[in-house]
Amino acid sequence: MLIIAMLKGVPAKTTGVITVSGVLRREEMELVMNPHDTRALEAAYYLKRRVGGKVIGLSMGPEPKLVPIMNDLYEPSQESRLVPRMPIYGVDENVLLSDRRMAGADTLATAYALAKGIHRIIQLHQEALDGLIELVRNNAPPAEVEGKARELYNENMLPNKVYSTLPTVKESYVKLFVEGRIDREELLEKLEEARRDLINFIILAGMKTSDGETGNTGPQTAEGLSEFLGITIPHAAFVVDFEVSPEENSVIAERKLGNLLQKLRIPIPCLLTLHTEYTPRVPPASVQKRVRLNNYRGQLRKIRIWDATYIGADPEKLGFAGSPTIVGPGMEIGRPPVQKVVGKTLVFKQDMDRFEWNGKRYGPFKKYDPVGGLPEELVRELESKGLLEVFTLKHMIEELFGGLQVVARAV
Amino acid sequence: MSLEQYRDVWVYLTREDGKLTRPSLELIAAGRKVADKIGQRVVAVMLGYQLGDAPNEAIARGADAVIYADEPWLKNYLCLPYTRVLVEMCRQYKPYAFLFIADELGRDLSPRVAYRLKTGLATDNIDLEVEDYYFGKDNTTYKNVLAQIRPDFATRVAKIYTPRHRPQIASIRPGNFEPLPHDESRQGELIRFQPSPVEDDFKVEIIEEKTLPKSAVDLENAKVIISLGLGILKDGEGRPRNPREGLKLAEELAELLRERYGLKVEIGATRALIYAELKELEGIITKERQVGQTGKTVAPDIYIALGISGAVQHRVGMIRSKNIVAINTDPNAPIFNIAHYVINDDLYKVVPQLISHLRGQ
Repeated sequence: MLIIAMLKGVPAKTTGVITVSGVLRREEMELVMNPHDTRALEAAYYLKRRVGGKVIGLSMGPEPKLVPIMNDLYEPSQESRLVPRMPIYGVDENVLLSDRRMAGADTLATAYALAKGIHRIIQLHQEALDGLIELVRNNAPPAEVEGKARELYNENMLPNKVYSTLPTVKESYVKLFVEGRIDREELLEKLEEARRDLINFIILAGMKTSDGETGNTGPQTAEGLSEFLGITIPHAAFVVDFEVSPEENSVIAERKLGNLLQKLRIPIPCLLTLHTEYTPRVPPASVQKRVRLNNYRGQLRKIRIWDATYIGADPEKLGFAGSPTIVGPGMEIGRPPVQKVVGKTLVFKQDMDRFEWNGKRYGPFKKYDPVGGLPEELVRELESKGLLEVFTLKHMIEELFGGLQVVARAV
Repeated sequence: MSLEQYRDVWVYLTREDGKLTRPSLELIAAGRKVADKIGQRVVAVMLGYQLGDAPNEAIARGADAVIYADEPWLKNYLCLPYTRVLVEMCRQYKPYAFLFIADELGRDLSPRVAYRLKTGLATDNIDLEVEDYYFGKDNTTYKNVLAQIRPDFATRVAKIYTPRHRPQIASIRPGNFEPLPHDESRQGELIRFQPSPVEDDFKVEIIEEKTLPKSAVDLENAKVIISLGLGILKDGEGRPRNPREGLKLAEELAELLRERYGLKVEIGATRALIYAELKELEGIITKERQVGQTGKTVAPDIYIALGISGAVQHRVGMIRSKNIVAINTDPNAPIFNIAHYVINDDLYKVVPQLISHLRGQ
């Protein structure tokens, strides 16, 4: 099974964020993996042990920032500055969508690109099997078929059951064919079946990202992919628990919509976003052993970096150009207008009407308004008249709770 | 598309036990604010089975019309059939804007609706305005565009515009609009929409549905939040303190405020304190108390930060509190930059004083 984990690079520190007219300039900040994506990777690891296959990390963003993150996904049990530590086997391979035309995307344009990327991942695996199928169909000699299979296997494009160099896998389809234990027709059937299997993928994502915080991209990617594949790819957001059904054609997922807990049967292929409360199940060891035939060669530590053209994306639908929403200038919500330091700030003892001092008008002031901003000399004068005092804890309590009605005398 | 033909502000309402939820009533109020500015109607949208009096209630609570579908196959929420019906409604009636509640259901449903309509979705808004928007790329000023105001990921808010597409879809965070009063005299048109089910939409099947007991911790609706940070591990002299002592003080203060003023008070915490996984706080300071970027965003009347330095991730989750009281020994703690009341002192000294002053008042 192709298990695709969608991952996002998010700013490590949200302070000192650099934006140009509202658009995040990611390449100028340190990016780390979105913390919510750890759940997606844990779920991917569960699936790999439950049904076998390979885990593909998929992301979109500037290459120099995303490549280091993706490199650290191969061994997430190791200490990393960019990826939270996870006690799991890492991803088998990574696909990075990177193209200037993808920059400045809102969730619609992001989902469009990711769905195109996933579509391309599936096509790539189909093309690999198609190549092999064609050779078999064209009566290529078994040695040539095996040669092609080995080449594809080394590129991580064929599961062990189709071809494997592992000594433990003695009965791959191609090997059986080479040894004359199955004929060409049977091999073709098996290869066609493996090709059909490719559509039984599962996409996993965190429930939201720590920067955008929308949670839109998961469901929207499922919708985009439905369009490209011509079949409805369902999704379930906020999954807290799931397992693959015994028939392995659906997932049984529990998801939380507020205080509504829905237990759903979702047919594969599908997309799940994982709630922060998700904890992965552990498949029985017997299953883990059995499904290894569905695994691929192993880790391919070469990140596949794809641009818009390669994934067949319409540049008009990508990035800023393809985003219906526009982020306007942000507004700071910084220091509150009135700040009082307990034990320090001088405040008015009582309400004061507007008054004139040295030809200028001041006020009116309310009880406990700080004198900040008034000329020093004026402050001294007010102080000497006994109109000011230092703001205390008692005053704060009076301000915060004084207007409230006491309902019960506490003992 | 001709933008002018898109009219009315739609609000997607949800029910619980047959009644409109509070966030739904808030959503009508949000829609009202926008509709009144552009001289259009608020149209409530409801899907379900046996809606009963809910459509009339929507009118009484400020909607001008209701479009609803009342079908047995819409009884339980499922994303695919719900998406299809809402998209059909939009294509037929062409709304100017479509508002959803920014809760989990809204976040499951609205993204698919927006994608299928190929329009923009602004999530998690706290307010809405109507503005003219000049878009440089087109050299065009778009009239009466929704300014969708949402907290940015820094200590900022950002305005999101969807000038060229309709409907402008936005989700609104609960707790930002006051429901309108019930007015029995209001009249409005009720339109029953009669969609047909499509088999493919039911490939996802509900095995079971349960309503969970509401979480005992309700930060979002608290009037006062007393939040704890790692600072509770030390007192003013730098001596280590059992975090339970800090918790006990916070609880004592909370209890006092509840009893005395009948206030809804909750204990919150920073991510740092929760993830420190202290044995002493196990089962008490849990994730559901987390305030901040990856936890809850809160805006109580009074937020009391005990031993919280105020990392930006925490600040974005509480900065809209009406009164922020920060107690911290570190004079440079960033929390002081946003506090209304700065108490640069030992919380183990100050909180007992607070309690005794409150008692004495």
